[in-house]
Amino acid sequence: MATCYAAGAFASLLAVWSGRLALVVGHIAAFAGAVTGLVVSLGILLGNPVQTLTLQLPDLFPFARLSLVVDGLSAYFLLVISLVAVAATIYGPAYLQAHSPEAGAGRRGVQVLALNTFLACMVFLCSAGDALSFILCWEGMTLASYVLVVSDDTDGENARAGLLYMIMTHAGTAMLLVSFLVLTERAGAFDFAALRTAASGLDDSARTTLFFLALVGFATKAGVVPLHVWLPRAHPAAPSHVSALMSGVMLKVAIYGILRFGFDLLAPAFEPLPSSWGWTILVLGTTSAVLGVLYALQQHDLKRLLAFHSVENIGIILIGVGLAMILWRREEVGGTLATLALTAALLHTVNHAAFKGLLFLGAGSILCRTHVRNMEELGGLARHMPWTAGLFLLGAIAISALPPLNGFVSEWLTFQAILGGASIFRGPSGLVIVVSAALLALTGGLAAACFVKAFGVTFLGRPRTAHAEHATEVPLSMIAGMAWLAVLCVLLGVAPGYAMRLLDAPTMAMLHGYGASEVVTAHGPLVLSTALALPGAMKGTAISMTMLALLLLALLPIAWFLRRGLRPSPLRTVPTWTCGMSPTARFDYTATAFAKPLRLVFASLYRPSRSVVKETAGSPYIIKRLVYTGEVVDLAETQIYHRVQHGITTLSKAIRDNSTGRIHGYIGFVLGALFLALLVFGGGQR
Amino acid sequence: MTGDKPLEIVLLEMFLLVLLGPLVTGFIQKLKARFQSRQGAGVLQPYRDLVKLLNKGTVQADTASGFFRSIPVLVLATTMAAGALVPVVQAGPPAFPLGDALMLLGLLSLARFLTAVGALDAGGAFGGMGASREMTIAPLVEPVLMMVVFSTALAHGTTELGILAEQRGTSWILTWRAADFLGFAAMLVLLPAETGRIPVDNPDTHLELTMLHEGMLLEHSGPGLGCMMLASHTRQIVTLGLAAALFFPIGAVSTGVIGLLLGAVSFVAKILVLAVYLAVIESSYAKLRLFQVPQYLGIGFVCALMSLALRIL
Repeated sequence: MATCYAAGAFASLLAVWSGRLALVVGHIAAFAGAVTGLVVSLGILLGNPVQTLTLQLPDLFPFARLSLVVDGLSAYFLLVISLVAVAATIYGPAYLQAHSPEAGAGRRGVQVLALNTFLACMVFLCSAGDALSFILCWEGMTLASYVLVVSDDTDGENARAGLLYMIMTHAGTAMLLVSFLVLTERAGAFDFAALRTAASGLDDSARTTLFFLALVGFATKAGVVPLHVWLPRAHPAAPSHVSALMSGVMLKVAIYGILRFGFDLLAPAFEPLPSSWGWTILVLGTTSAVLGVLYALQQHDLKRLLAFHSVENIGIILIGVGLAMILWRREEVGGTLATLALTAALLHTVNHAAFKGLLFLGAGSILCRTHVRNMEELGGLARHMPWTAGLFLLGAIAISALPPLNGFVSEWLTFQAILGGASIFRGPSGLVIVVSAALLALTGGLAAACFVKAFGVTFLGRPRTAHAEHATEVPLSMIAGMAWLAVLCVLLGVAPGYAMRLLDAPTMAMLHGYGASEVVTAHGPLVLSTALALPGAMKGTAISMTMLALLLLALLPIAWFLRRGLRPSPLRTVPTWTCGMSPTARFDYTATAFAKPLRLVFASLYRPSRSVVKETAGSPYIIKRLVYTGEVVDLAETQIYHRVQHGITTLSKAIRDNSTGRIHGYIGFVLGALFLALLVFGGGQR
Repeated sequence: MTGDKPLEIVLLEMFLLVLLGPLVTGFIQKLKARFQSRQGAGVLQPYRDLVKLLNKGTVQADTASGFFRSIPVLVLATTMAAGALVPVVQAGPPAFPLGDALMLLGLLSLARFLTAVGALDAGGAFGGMGASREMTIAPLVEPVLMMVVFSTALAHGTTELGILAEQRGTSWILTWRAADFLGFAAMLVLLPAETGRIPVDNPDTHLELTMLHEGMLLEHSGPGLGCMMLASHTRQIVTLGLAAALFFPIGAVSTGVIGLLLGAVSFVAKILVLAVYLAVIESSYAKLRLFQVPQYLGIGFVCALMSLALRIL
C-alpha cells in the first residue's frame, strides 16, 4: 500500500514531461493503494479471530521507535478511507482535466503529489501505533489538504479559506499535542501500549483534562460547532474529488481520534468513563447536527451547502459516540446498549462517507461542466446530465435519512440507542437524551427540505443561465466513480445486516464486550433487531430493510399499472401555465425563495438581513431595476469569532503602544518574565 | 421476537387501507357538506374521481425532466408500503419483521420528498411555492410526531406498532395516565397537519394563498394525478391508523376469524371517529396564515414534550 502511494507521489515527478501523464499515473497509483487498503482491511475485519497487524518501521528518529498497529478500529477506518478513495481516484483525472484544462504541468504535479500524500497520511494515521507517527501523519494530512485547497484556483478566496483552515486546525493540533506530550512524558515512550499504561495511573480529573484537550483538537478537525467555521470555506475550495475525501473521510479520521482516545488510550482499566465525556459529546453532537443543517438550508453555493451538511452528519455520529461513552460499562445496562450506540455511530461513519462522497462528486460534475457553484445560476440540468442527476438524487435521498437507503439505517439505530438510553436514565439526564432525539428528528426533516431545494433548483425546471443550458454529461470514468458510491449507498441500505459483520471487530476492540452482529443481527442478517440490546422488560424492535425493499419493488409494478391509466393514450406536452405570460426561467422558484419560509420561522437564529434597492424611471411605479441582497449570519461566527478577533486586535494594539523599539525595554520585559516564572514555577525544585 | 401474524394478513391489511382510503376522504367531504347545510356529493365521489382521472390522457409540462413521469409511481408505491406497517385488523408483530413506526414516518417523508421534487420539475411558481411551504411545515411536524411515538414507545421499549398495540391491549384504555392524555392531545393537534387539512392546509383548493399540498399536484394530470390523489388518500388513512394504533389499540388483539372480524369492525369505528374529528375541526376553523402554523404546531410540541417528560421523570 505504502509503495503504491509512494509511487503515486513519485509520479508527480512525471509532471516534468507532461502534466497529463503525471495526473493519470498518479491517480492509478493512488487507486492501487486504495484497493490494497480495501483488501488489507477486509482481511483483518473478516478474520476470525481478528488479527492485529503490527509493522515495525525503520528507526527514523533516535528517540522513538515508529510502528504501525492495525487493530479492529484501525482496519474499519482504513476500510472507510479506501472505499471513498477508490471512487475519488477513478473520478479524479477526468475531473481535473475537464475542470481546469489550462493548468500547467507544475500544478498537476503538485496536485498529484498532495493527493497521494493526503491519502497515505490518512491511512497511516489510522494505523499509527505510536504518538509520534500519529502526530506526524496528522500534520501531513493537514498540510497536504491545505495544498489541495489552495491548488484549485488562484483567486484570493481560496487562499483565505486555506489560511483560516491552517490557523484553526493548528490551534486544535496544539491542544492535541499538549495531551500527547503529557502522556508521553509520563510513559517515557511514544508507543500506544506505553501510553495506555501511563494513563491507567492517572486520576479522574487529569484524565478528563487530557481528554478534553484532545477533544478540542479532534473537534476542530471534525468541524464540530462552534469550531466549524473553517469547514464551509475550505471544503468547497478544494477540487471536488478532494472535497469528497475531505468531507467523507478526513472528518472521520477525527472521529477515529476521539474513539481511540476515549475508549482506548485514556480509558480507565475497568470503571466506566467519566460521565462528563459522554454528555459533552452528546450535547456537542446534537448542537452540530441541528445548526449544521439549519445553516446548510440557507446556502446557495452547492458545495458549501454540502460542507454544512458534513457538520450535521458529524453531529449525528457524535450523538452515537456520546451515548456509547455514557452507557459503556454501566452495570444496569449489561454492555449491549453501548454496543448498539457505537454500532450506530460507526455505521453512520461509513454511510456518510458514501453519500457525502457521492454528492460532492455530483457537485463536481456540475462544476466542471458549468463552472458555476451558485444554484441560482443553474437549473434544468437533469435533461442534459441524466446520470449525474439520478445519482445525485439517490445521494440526496440517502443523506435525508429516508428509507430504503443507508442514511435511514444508521439514524434508526441511533434512535433505538436513544430510546434505550432514555429508559435507563430517568430524570433530567433522560430528558437531555430525549430532547436530542427530537432534535435529531428535526435534523432529518430539515435535511430533506434542504435536499429538495438543492436537487430541485439545480437539476429541475428551466436552465437559468447559458452555463446551465449548454451543460453536457460527464465522461464515463466520472460516472463510474459516482456509481461506485451509489451502489454502496443502496447495498448498505437494503442489506445492512451484512455490514454488521464488519462492525464486529471495531466494536469489540473498543468496548471489549459484545460485537455488533451479536447485538443487532441476532435474528439473521436480514433483520435488524434491538431485542438483545435493550435492558430489562423492554421488548425491542425488529425491522427488515431487505423485506421493505422487496415490498417496494413488488408495489412498483402495481403503481406503474395505475400510472399508465385504464385507457393508455399518448402524452401531450405543453408549456407550463404561468397565468397567461410566456414562461421563462424567471418563473422557477429560486433557492432563496424556497428556503424563505424556514428563514422566517428560524429568524432568531439566522438574523437575516435584506436590502432592496429600487431604480425607478421618473415615476415611482416604473421600476427599471431591482437589486436584492439578503444574507444570514452564522451565529458562532458573529457571537464568538468576531469577539475573539476584536479582543486580539485590541490586545495587539495595546501591546504595540508599549513597544517602543528600544532594546533595553525588551530586555527588561524578558528579565521580568523570567523572574516571575522562577517565582511561580521554581518553588518545587528546592 | 418474530410474531405469528402471517404475511398474507399484512398484505391484506395494506390493500384494505389503500382501498378504504378514498372512502374516508368521501366521508369527511360528505360530513363537511352536511355541516354547511349542503347535500354534498356521495361518499363514493373520490372513487368516481379516481376512475375518471385514470381514464384520461396525460398533459405534461414541456420543461419537465424524465423524472416527472415516474414521480407518481414512486410516491404511490412508497405510501402503499407505509400502509403495510400499520396494524389494522390484528395486532402483534408480523411473522417476518418489516418495519416500525420510525420506518412508517420515514416512508411518508420519502413520499413527501418525491412529491416536492416533482413539484419543482415543471418550473412553475405554483409548484415551487407548494413545495417550499410543504417542506417548511414537514420538518416541524415530523419531530413532534416522533416524540409522540417515543412517548408511547418508552413505556414498552419498542417502536414496532404491532407489538405496541398488542402490549397495551383493550383494557389499557382504562389506565390512561397524564402522559397518554398529553400525547393524545399532541396527536390531535398534529392530525390536521399530517393529513393536509384546515387549519394547516386546505385540500379543497390550490389558490396560492392557501395551498400547500395541492400546489404540488398542479402540474400532474390524468392517471398521474390519479396516483397522486390515491397516495394522499392512503396517506390520510395511514396517519389515522397510526394514531389509532398508538392510542386506541382496542379490538385488534384477539386472533381467529371472529377476532379478525372484531378487529375489522373496531378499526372502522376508530377511523370513523377520527374522521369525524377532522371534519368537525375543518368546519369550525379557518385556515391559519402560513407563519402562524409554527405557533399552532408549537402547542403540539409542548404537549408532546410534557408527555415525554412525564414518562421519564
